[in-house]
Amino acid sequence: MTSCGNPASEQDALMQRRTKFDKTRLCWKCREKVGNVVIRHAVYCRECFFPIITTKFKRALEPFINPGNETRRQGLKPAGNLCVAFSAGLGSTVLLDLISRLYFSAETGGWTGRGGTDHPRNAPVWKKTTICYVETSSALPGTRDRTEDVRAVVAQYAGFASFVPLRLEDAFDDAWWGKVGGRPPPSHVSVDLADEELLLAQKLSASDTPVVALRAYLAAMPTQTAIPSAIQNLIRLLLLHTAWATESSHLLLGTSLTSLSVSLISSISQGGGFVVREEAQEEWQPTVYSGSKRNVRVTRPMRDIGMKECAIWAWWHKLTVVGKENYLGGKQGIGTLTKSFIVGLERDYPSTVSTIVRTCAKLAPKNVADGRCVLCGRPAQPDVQAWKARISIRAFDEQGDVPPHRTLAPDPAPDERTRETHEDAAMPPRVGLTPHLCYACHTTLTSRSSRGSAAASTQVGATPLPVWVESGLEMLDGGGSGQEKWNKRKMGESEMKEAIAEFLLPKEDA
Amino acid sequence: MPPRTCALCLANRAMLKRPKTGQQICRDCFFYVFETEVHNTIIQSNLFKPGDRVAIGASGGKDSTVLAYVMKTLNERYQYGLELFLLSIDEGITGYRDDSLETVKRNQQQYSMPLKILSYDELYGWTMDAIVSQVGKKNNCTFCGVFRRQALDRGAAMLGVDHIVTGHNADDIAETVLMNIMRGDIARLGRCTAICTQGEDTIRRSKPFKYAYEKEIVMYAYFKKLDYFSTECIYSPDAYRGHARVFLKDLEAARPSAIIDIIHSGEAFEVREEVKATQKAQQTCKRCGYMSSNDLCKACTLLEGLERGMANAGITDRARKKLDAEGPPPDNLRTIPFYNPPSSGTASITVEAAPS
Repeated sequence: MTSCGNPASEQDALMQRRTKFDKTRLCWKCREKVGNVVIRHAVYCRECFFPIITTKFKRALEPFINPGNETRRQGLKPAGNLCVAFSAGLGSTVLLDLISRLYFSAETGGWTGRGGTDHPRNAPVWKKTTICYVETSSALPGTRDRTEDVRAVVAQYAGFASFVPLRLEDAFDDAWWGKVGGRPPPSHVSVDLADEELLLAQKLSASDTPVVALRAYLAAMPTQTAIPSAIQNLIRLLLLHTAWATESSHLLLGTSLTSLSVSLISSISQGGGFVVREEAQEEWQPTVYSGSKRNVRVTRPMRDIGMKECAIWAWWHKLTVVGKENYLGGKQGIGTLTKSFIVGLERDYPSTVSTIVRTCAKLAPKNVADGRCVLCGRPAQPDVQAWKARISIRAFDEQGDVPPHRTLAPDPAPDERTRETHEDAAMPPRVGLTPHLCYACHTTLTSRSSRGSAAASTQVGATPLPVWVESGLEMLDGGGSGQEKWNKRKMGESEMKEAIAEFLLPKEDA
Repeated sequence: MPPRTCALCLANRAMLKRPKTGQQICRDCFFYVFETEVHNTIIQSNLFKPGDRVAIGASGGKDSTVLAYVMKTLNERYQYGLELFLLSIDEGITGYRDDSLETVKRNQQQYSMPLKILSYDELYGWTMDAIVSQVGKKNNCTFCGVFRRQALDRGAAMLGVDHIVTGHNADDIAETVLMNIMRGDIARLGRCTAICTQGEDTIRRSKPFKYAYEKEIVMYAYFKKLDYFSTECIYSPDAYRGHARVFLKDLEAARPSAIIDIIHSGEAFEVREEVKATQKAQQTCKRCGYMSSNDLCKACTLLEGLERGMANAGITDRARKKLDAEGPPPDNLRTIPFYNPPSSGTASITVEAAPS
């Protein structure tokens, strides 16, 4: 009987079900066993599936283990320790399992013979491994804290790794900043997100807890889609600084092929074309150590393994996937839209995902970077603001010429003009964050929705900044790099008097 | 609630919210910034020099109608010294082009610009109606796209112009960046954000609306009361491009700057040198003389397939091999006339002069 329940209906009248595989049910690789899984129209048996995954994994990781461009013929000799980012999602769960199986399974010591699994060549590649998890529940109301669940999963790998749980609010915490080697700034600043220049000011309430600061920062984002971008950026920098502090030469992320293609398209859609290479792999060092020989290499060894393959690996190895709060901005998030678009497209055009990754791997930035963005730490493109001003006019006085009808506009009232001049004279020129940001970060902080946003307007001048931004700005201020100086400290009267004390004549006694 | 004041001139009442910036501005300021941004694009890229003969690719749709108006306005306002022409391609789709071509003819009269209409039938001996009757709707966009590009160049050569400007807007370019990444078309990805493209011996081709949002073009046409025809092609089921367009519109709804952000991304990267080295060098088609990456250009391959009753020969490698296996083409095969690139400013045909 047909599915509609009508026995009279002919079988032939129904559409033929599309075959899941191309030609045969036999495993495409060994051509002997009946296949268990279909991956992009190719059939694999369980025995062939595992080595295929490990080969893909090693191929994506091992060429990048040795420092610089050293080949791996002389063995794998990383320059430092290993930091594994664990998000509790599927990709990073499989990543952790693969790392443990491939690089930490051999017991060391007691080797007496010739070869075998105890041979020193099978000793762990990295001396010390840290598993780092960032808890985001403070940023996302209604979500639960998963740190203990993650700790339980990571405990299975306690033999070779130490666990470092972080919280998203650490990005606003001087104590954490001090722990990872940063120098807490003497005073905090805030930024005015309502202004394109992102003017900086003294932070009014220095007693805010890191959680309050984090929430204020996210609440000030001008669009829904800016929130997941900001969270993603905070997580990335927390991991990078932790990797640096643990003297790791490698930070491994569990980004699968599917996730990587989503993040590439999402990044390009948010103006991140200049750093498309960094989206797949990057070398990083903190601003204060720029020029140092040591750096952290961010690698995504799962980049050739699709989401489906990860799921099969986890299922067959009975791995516990804790799951993560994957907030991509709701329906109005570019991350959500990109993910549903790519996953939907993959259904009809299965090679799309790998095509995106392969195409982006063939790209390089057009210009030389103009320093690094103080917010995301990635290379920043020169002349970004000039480009923005040229393609969309936002004020007439920037352009030099004015439209014919503009002359009809009344001049500001004399008292208003006087007040402006007076204010200008009284206030020192305020410096903005804008020149120190990359295109994508500036867009995240300033680009508004056409529906308008109440959030940004209520947060004028009061948005706190992550701790590394203040540190980066201080570097620019005191580094004598020839760029504009940034004076953020308001001079008190007594301090001013002290500075000019020797030029003041003593008051005459009355 | 009192009326809002224009965010730009701070004097007039705001009439619209600008899709590109979200600013609330008055009508006059909108006209001014829209035109000035197109002017900035032209000047920044040194698109023209005085005395250039420029053909405006005119389809009768919104983009080309507004482009013709703005080009004429800017040419007069900033004294570019350009000689402007209208160039239309008639694909031969019954009921689709007829109304649009009427718009183009009206523009010819309004703007006093000479007009040349070149049809697929005249150039290739095939209308799109005839092509679709043979190939079906599945791949017909490939035929139309390849034939239109070459037809524009050939029409421009007939007019003796130096330059073609087309109405491709920011939405089109952002969509093309995404499409080229998703289908791995590295060659096109490398050049799709260029404002001006020019082959070795082809006519320069530019997109002055590169940074103009589609919504703003419609807005400009609306406030200027420019009439145009908005007709969806009855043969265009390009599902892949359709997906990309819907995705882009969703992105724009999430954050209006997404369109310009994608273009910025496209301008910020380039194809790596070692990848460029593997790309095919450009040559000329042995049959029709048009630029090509192979011995035969795409249009000649497609046309040969049509003429020999194997339309897929230009689409798939398998069909091409099958066609080759059937031997060389017959001597009486209809081919595209040999392409003669323009020799500085002389029209090789007469055009319909604008009525005085």
